[in-house]
Amino acid sequence: MLADSVTIPVSAVPHLPGRTRAMGTGEINPTIRGRMVGQTPSRVDDTVLIREAQSGNRAAFEELVRQYDRAVLRLALHMTGSEADAQDIYQEAFLKAYKSLGNFRFECSFYTWIYRIVSNLCLDHLRKRQVRKEDPPVSVDGDGEEYNVIEQTPDARPSANPERDLMRRELGAQISKSLQKLTPRERMVFELKHYHGLKLKTVGEILNTTEETAKNTLFRATQKLRASLAGMR
Amino acid sequence: MNCDWVQGNVTLYVYDELADDSRYELEQHIERCKDCAAEVTAAREFKMAMSALPQPEPSPNLLVASRMRLQEALEDAEPARGWRRFVIDPGVWLRKMKFSPALAAALLIVGFFGGVGTTYRIAMNRGGAPEIAGNPAPVAQPTATEASIVGIRDIVHEPGSDRVRIKYDTVVPQYVQAPLGDPRVQQLLLFAARNNTNSGLRMDSVDLLTQKHEDERVRELLMYALRNDSNPGVRLKALEGLGEYVKDDVRVRDAVLTALMSDENPGVRTLAIQMVRPVRADSTVRQVLQHLSANDDNSSIRMQARSALASAPQLD
Repeated sequence: MLADSVTIPVSAVPHLPGRTRAMGTGEINPTIRGRMVGQTPSRVDDTVLIREAQSGNRAAFEELVRQYDRAVLRLALHMTGSEADAQDIYQEAFLKAYKSLGNFRFECSFYTWIYRIVSNLCLDHLRKRQVRKEDPPVSVDGDGEEYNVIEQTPDARPSANPERDLMRRELGAQISKSLQKLTPRERMVFELKHYHGLKLKTVGEILNTTEETAKNTLFRATQKLRASLAGMR
Repeated sequence: MNCDWVQGNVTLYVYDELADDSRYELEQHIERCKDCAAEVTAAREFKMAMSALPQPEPSPNLLVASRMRLQEALEDAEPARGWRRFVIDPGVWLRKMKFSPALAAALLIVGFFGGVGTTYRIAMNRGGAPEIAGNPAPVAQPTATEASIVGIRDIVHEPGSDRVRIKYDTVVPQYVQAPLGDPRVQQLLLFAARNNTNSGLRMDSVDLLTQKHEDERVRELLMYALRNDSNPGVRLKALEGLGEYVKDDVRVRDAVLTALMSDENPGVRTLAIQMVRPVRADSTVRQVLQHLSANDDNSSIRMQARSALASAPQLD
C-alpha cells in the first residue's frame, strides 16, 4: 500500500496559498513540493528520497528527477548536439532509473549512478552515429533556419562588434569539428571534466573504469584537440 | 622532476587534478624551465579557448517539455516490483478519480455507447460455449475476444446444483469515423477531454475541439479543462483555444485571469499573460497585472506583468 503522505525532514519553501493543484496524479506532501530547483541537496535527503522512491513513492522519484535533470539534459544536449536527441536520452535515462531503482544499493552516490546511465546512453548514441557515418544533427530554429546547436552563440542581440561575433562563430565551428574527431569515450571524458567540472576519480566511477584510465583518456583527448585547433589556425 | 614528466602532466595540472605535492614540484620546475613554462601557458590558453564558447544551456522550454514528457511516461510505466503489478492500489485509483470526477460516473455507466450488463448461466461441468440465458442486448452479443470484462457484479451459486450464475459487465469498443463537425464526434471529444485518464488523449481532444469552437459547450469545456485538468500540457492547449474569446466573453477573461493568478505551471501563466494582452486596458485585468507585478514570487511573471502594464493599451 503506497503511503499517502510522507514525512521527510526537508527544508522547504512554505506552502503557497492559491496553488492547490498537485503536480502529477500522485499526492505530494507540501514539504517535498517546496524544494527549489538549484538547491544543493544533502546526502541525507537523497538517501531518504531514494528509499521512498524505491518503495514506490513516485512523488519522491519526481523530486529526485528535479534535482538532477537539468545537468542530465545539459550533458545530453552537448554530447548529441540536438534538442530532440537530448530529449530522447533524457527520457530514456530517467525511465531506466525509475525501472531499475530497486537495484540501486547505495554503493555510490545517486549523482554518480544517474550520470552513469546518461553517459552510457550518450556513448551508445555517439557510437551509432559513427557507425552510420552521420553528420552532426542540424536543428531548425523558429524562423526555419538551420543551425548547429553547439556552434550557436547564445547572445542573439545585434552586436556592436560583428567582427568579434564572426570570430566567435568561427572558433565555435572549429571547436565543434575538433570535438568530433575524438572517440566517443575521449569526448565523454573531456565533456565531464571540462564542461561539468567533475573530478577524474568521479569520471572513472561514472564510466566504470579507473581514475588512471580516465587521466590517460583526458590527456589523449586534449592532445588531439590542441593539435586539431592549431591545425586550423 | 624532469621535463618529460612535466610535459606529460601539464594537462592534469591545468585541470587541477594533480596531487598537492606533485603540483608544488611542477610549479617549482616551471620557474626554472622556460620550455615547460611555455607548455603550461599553451595548455592554459587551450583550456580558455575551449571555454570561450559557453556550453549551450538547455532552454527552459526544453526542460519543461522534457519533464512533462517524462511525467506522461511515468503515468503509464509499471514499476516492475513483483507482486505490486497484480495489486490494484486503491490509493492510486482514488487519486486518479479526484482529477476526473466524471470518470467515476463513467465507470458506473458501464461501457460507453454499447456496454452490456449481461447475465449468463454457466454449466460448470460442460465445456464449450456457455448457454446464454440473459436479456438480449441492444447490440450484437460480444464474443470473448471482442468484449473486455470491466467487473464482476454478482456471483450466485444455486444451492443443490452445480450451476453458477455470474453477472458481469463488459466494455465493448466502438468506433466512429466522421468529419470533425459531426455531432457524435463532437460529443465524444467533449467526453474524452473531461474524462480520459490518458492525458495525451485529453490533449488531442482539446486540440481538435478548438478547431471547431463555435459551440458554446466547447468553450465551457475549454474553461473547465483550464481550471481543472491535472496535466499542464492539456491546460496549455485549452488556454490557446480560449485566446480569441478573451475580448468578447467575460467568463473566458475571468478563467484566464484565474489561471494567471493561481496555475502552478509557469508556462501556463506566461501564456495567460500573453492572452490577456489584448484586453490589458480592462480595469479588472489591470488590477490583476498590478498585483502580480508587485507581489508574485516568480520574477519572470513579475517582469511580464510589468511590461504588459507599461506598453500603451490598444484601443480595439
